[in-house]
Amino acid sequence: MNGFPVLTTILLAPVAAALIMTFIPRNESKLIKCIAAVGTFVSMALSLYVYFSYDTALGGLQFAEKIPWIRDLGVNWFLAVDGISLPMLLLTNLIGFSAVFASWNVDNRPREFFILLCLLITGVMGTFVAHDLFIFLLFYEVVVIPIYILVIIWGSSKRVTKEYAGMKLTIYLLIGSAFLLVGVIAFFVKAAGVLGQPNMSFTALAEAGKQLSAFDQTWLFALMLFGFGSLVSMWPFHSWSPDGYAGAPTAVSMIHAGVLKKIGGYGLVKIALYMLPVGAKFWAPYMAVLGVAGVTYAAFAALAQKDLKYIVGYSSVSHMGYVMLAIGSFSVIGINGAVANMFAHGVMAALFFSTVGFIYEKTHTRWIPDLGGLARQVPRLAVAFMLAALASLGLPGLISFIPEFTIFVASFKVYGGLAVIGIAGIILTALYALRAGANTLFGPPREEYDHLEDIRGPEMVPLVVLGTVLVVGGILPSLLFDMVNSGAATLMTHVESAVKLGGVFK
Amino acid sequence: MIPDLSLIVPELAMAVLGLMVLIFGLIIPRGSRHGLGWFAALALLGVTGLVLAGWNNGGNLYGNLYVVDQFSQFFKITFLLAAFLVVLGSMRYVDRHLGGQSEYYSILIFATLGMMVMSSANDFMTMYLGLELMTISFIILVCFRRLEAKSLESGMKYVLLAGMSSAVLLYGLSLVYGITGTVVISEVGKILAMRAPLPLLMLGVVMLVAGLGFKISAVPFHMWSPDIYEGAPTPITAFLAVGSKAASFAILIRIFVVGMFGISLNWELLLAILAAVTIIVGNLVAIPQTNIKRLLAYSSIAQAGYILVGLVTASQDGVKGVLFYAFLYVFATVGAFTVASHFYNVTGSDEIKDYAGLAQRSPLMAAVMVVAMLSMAGIPPLAGFVGKFYLFMTIVENYLWLAFIGLIMSMVSVYYYLRVALVMYRNDPLDSTPIAVSAPVTVTLVVAMAVTLFLGIYPGPVAEVVNNAAHSFFMH
Amino acid sequence: MLSDWGAVFLFFVAAVIFSAGGVVTGFVLAPRRTTAQKVTTYECGVDTIGPTWVQFRTSYFLYALLFLIFDVETIYLYPWAVKFQSLGLFAFIEMIIFLFILIIGLWYAWKEGALEWM
Repeated sequence: MNGFPVLTTILLAPVAAALIMTFIPRNESKLIKCIAAVGTFVSMALSLYVYFSYDTALGGLQFAEKIPWIRDLGVNWFLAVDGISLPMLLLTNLIGFSAVFASWNVDNRPREFFILLCLLITGVMGTFVAHDLFIFLLFYEVVVIPIYILVIIWGSSKRVTKEYAGMKLTIYLLIGSAFLLVGVIAFFVKAAGVLGQPNMSFTALAEAGKQLSAFDQTWLFALMLFGFGSLVSMWPFHSWSPDGYAGAPTAVSMIHAGVLKKIGGYGLVKIALYMLPVGAKFWAPYMAVLGVAGVTYAAFAALAQKDLKYIVGYSSVSHMGYVMLAIGSFSVIGINGAVANMFAHGVMAALFFSTVGFIYEKTHTRWIPDLGGLARQVPRLAVAFMLAALASLGLPGLISFIPEFTIFVASFKVYGGLAVIGIAGIILTALYALRAGANTLFGPPREEYDHLEDIRGPEMVPLVVLGTVLVVGGILPSLLFDMVNSGAATLMTHVESAVKLGGVFK
Repeated sequence: MIPDLSLIVPELAMAVLGLMVLIFGLIIPRGSRHGLGWFAALALLGVTGLVLAGWNNGGNLYGNLYVVDQFSQFFKITFLLAAFLVVLGSMRYVDRHLGGQSEYYSILIFATLGMMVMSSANDFMTMYLGLELMTISFIILVCFRRLEAKSLESGMKYVLLAGMSSAVLLYGLSLVYGITGTVVISEVGKILAMRAPLPLLMLGVVMLVAGLGFKISAVPFHMWSPDIYEGAPTPITAFLAVGSKAASFAILIRIFVVGMFGISLNWELLLAILAAVTIIVGNLVAIPQTNIKRLLAYSSIAQAGYILVGLVTASQDGVKGVLFYAFLYVFATVGAFTVASHFYNVTGSDEIKDYAGLAQRSPLMAAVMVVAMLSMAGIPPLAGFVGKFYLFMTIVENYLWLAFIGLIMSMVSVYYYLRVALVMYRNDPLDSTPIAVSAPVTVTLVVAMAVTLFLGIYPGPVAEVVNNAAHSFFMH
Repeated sequence: MLSDWGAVFLFFVAAVIFSAGGVVTGFVLAPRRTTAQKVTTYECGVDTIGPTWVQFRTSYFLYALLFLIFDVETIYLYPWAVKFQSLGLFAFIEMIIFLFILIIGLWYAWKEGALEWM
């Protein structure tokens, strides 16, 4: 807090790495990878520092930086973190750093690959540290184009071609964001009317938002719900997600499932819910229903898959359903659970995708019937895979147990039966996760995979980093929950007071 | 009596410059006229400097027939920068494919002069004078590849359609004149503000919209533009798409927002529907195109639709949006067309499929193309996003449906822009020889890309300038 | 009551009726007896000889254009000359500039060979 713009530095470190890479000859692939690693490492180290020096007792916005940006729109370069955005920032950097190592074996045009990857990581981070709606939007869509190019060049065509996957991913997200943009612009104009001058900072908009009429809040929230919901792969707008992940290269799947989706959930909490409380109250039951529908639908769909990436893809849709259910419960505990579950799922999904990526890289297949007995041949990879699978079904002692438990507590209080259906989803999750693990890793070893080398060296990094977080987060949940709670409590206090106000009827 | 000419120094300088280039062409022997491009480019930059130097001197001339305010000056800077970039980017093209350097540059300068007059004109006559100067110059430029049938065909089409649109426009103007008894636009505004609109006036308004709709290629008056854009020499296409359109918007704004302000309720919906149709048709028809110039032509039709959005509310914010968007549109369009023209220089093709592997043959060209296109699509952090934000901000209160259409269609446009990106980035080149980019073209491309990025990330300063310009426009 | 613009509208209607009426009456009343003589191309009253789709040399066109330019110039010169006394130096300079621009055009045309009969 000594005036050093630490958040901007976190944000710009990967950009700087990308800029340096443009000047490096394209065949120096080792050097390029090292620069990408250094860039993302700087961000990760700094965000760890920020995470542990954030004062949870004090709460609120910390490490704030504010520079006037566009005066006539009331936009400031306003970066700040609170208990909700900080876990997301940390998650992004953990996964970003791991993703660089998960792509260590990319040899097709590595320079372009790592430049785009670094830009992608920056874009995602930007949405989490922005405390200004305009800056948030700037970063929100930055990620779309790098992802598209990453998918069409380095992706894989199995069940769907990578061109199809990339385009589907892109168009879905863009159409969603078109609705979001309409909502945001309309909200901004109305808020400027209430405030008397344009202002884009989250805090000011939240003050203005609660003074809007209930009707305005409701339709604006609906637009935002559609926009953010399609990003978070809310059922029934989820269909891009499994296809997109299947087509994408490992690093993109990791970042996309791990953090990009979380922008949707984060936006719902930190923007839609925070700024339009009455609208959120109206839509909360619908969100819960859609969430439970997503949980069960995607879990059944995952049961039917034979492609490892599709299983993980549907599993991530299913887990996001819990997040929607939690937000729909409209309580501090629920928001706690939603944010913590996003963090937990991010780590787990990234680990899952990186192990699937390695399996695919080594065996050239993701088709479960063609796999089996890999635990003998690649034990370290198998450990990581099982860790991710067990975290996915919410095994106590791993990171996702407590968040899911919290979500059930919160939603059971409000929705009762609906929550029970949601809980039942966990059984299905256990079924497909364990079955995938069993069929891939155990059983009789196949001789065509005897020559496989286990992962080693740089390849170990994602597994070690993410695996450690999975375990530590499970053993010491307070590390995560104290942080999340400090943010969620403040947010819900505001929301509940605004709901009592009930919107201003004009 | 000698009028105070200090206000129109840039215009005078342009006229002198155009003649000078022509005279140089007469004096310098045919083989050694390559320097003319550099001369014209630097001189255009100099004139831009003149406009900037007189930024704070506003006023009017010839009994309010000619207004110099920040609004017009902003447009002049836009035209001059566009001309500068086009000249810079087209030197090689002219030397190699066109010949006739002195005619080319001098006519281009006269076209720019026409646009400058249009942006300042405060009466119908002066406005029409500028419009015709621009149009006739463009007719010549469009058929400059005079040995190619396609170029001549587009020239012919342009003559006929420009003539027709001018006729319609003139008819509309004469009706307005007949009703108000004056050709001075600000007087027209005062008179119309006090009177109930007549059916005949509505006829005049419709004629004006149709006539100017041709110039900005708004649907349903857009049919000419793809054919002509395809046939014209590529740098001229760029200038046509940018300059002619921006200048027509300048007079559209002056006629409607000043002249017709009093009856704005009667034409707002008309313009809103026109904008919606233009956005939808432009974007949808662009999807199946296989020729890069036709694709850009349709996309520029859609862009005209977006700019029209700013006019719908006839407000200061709307004018601000138009100014900002017109400015950034210059850089995106010139960037994209310069890539197309340089690519044609090297390979002789305008087909999108031949762009395969451009990212490997020339990373700069591919990057500029993608940045330019995504800016037009309005993807942050590029300038187009901020521009669209300004434009749509004005209409969410009263025309929410238009905002929906505009933003959804702009996401649809990403589809066809990304197809080009796909070809350039994913496909392997058939011929993998690197494409050398000459120094002036590099400058054009880098400037276009840098400005597009800069305006997207930090639009603050330009937004403030634009704000002042829009404010000055509402002063009188 | 007829407003001012109602009169204009009536004028429009009258104009349309007047012009359309002539054509229609001609169409209705005119006898339709065509002879070979009548359907031949009309050119100054003399029967055409040879093909009538002759292509003219562009030189004619260029000459005509150049002539027209200087023809129109005189239109401007007349009123200027009449009021020359009262207009003063500035008008003189303006006219010199005007002529100068035209002369550059002529020079250009000359240099480009527009005046040579090819």
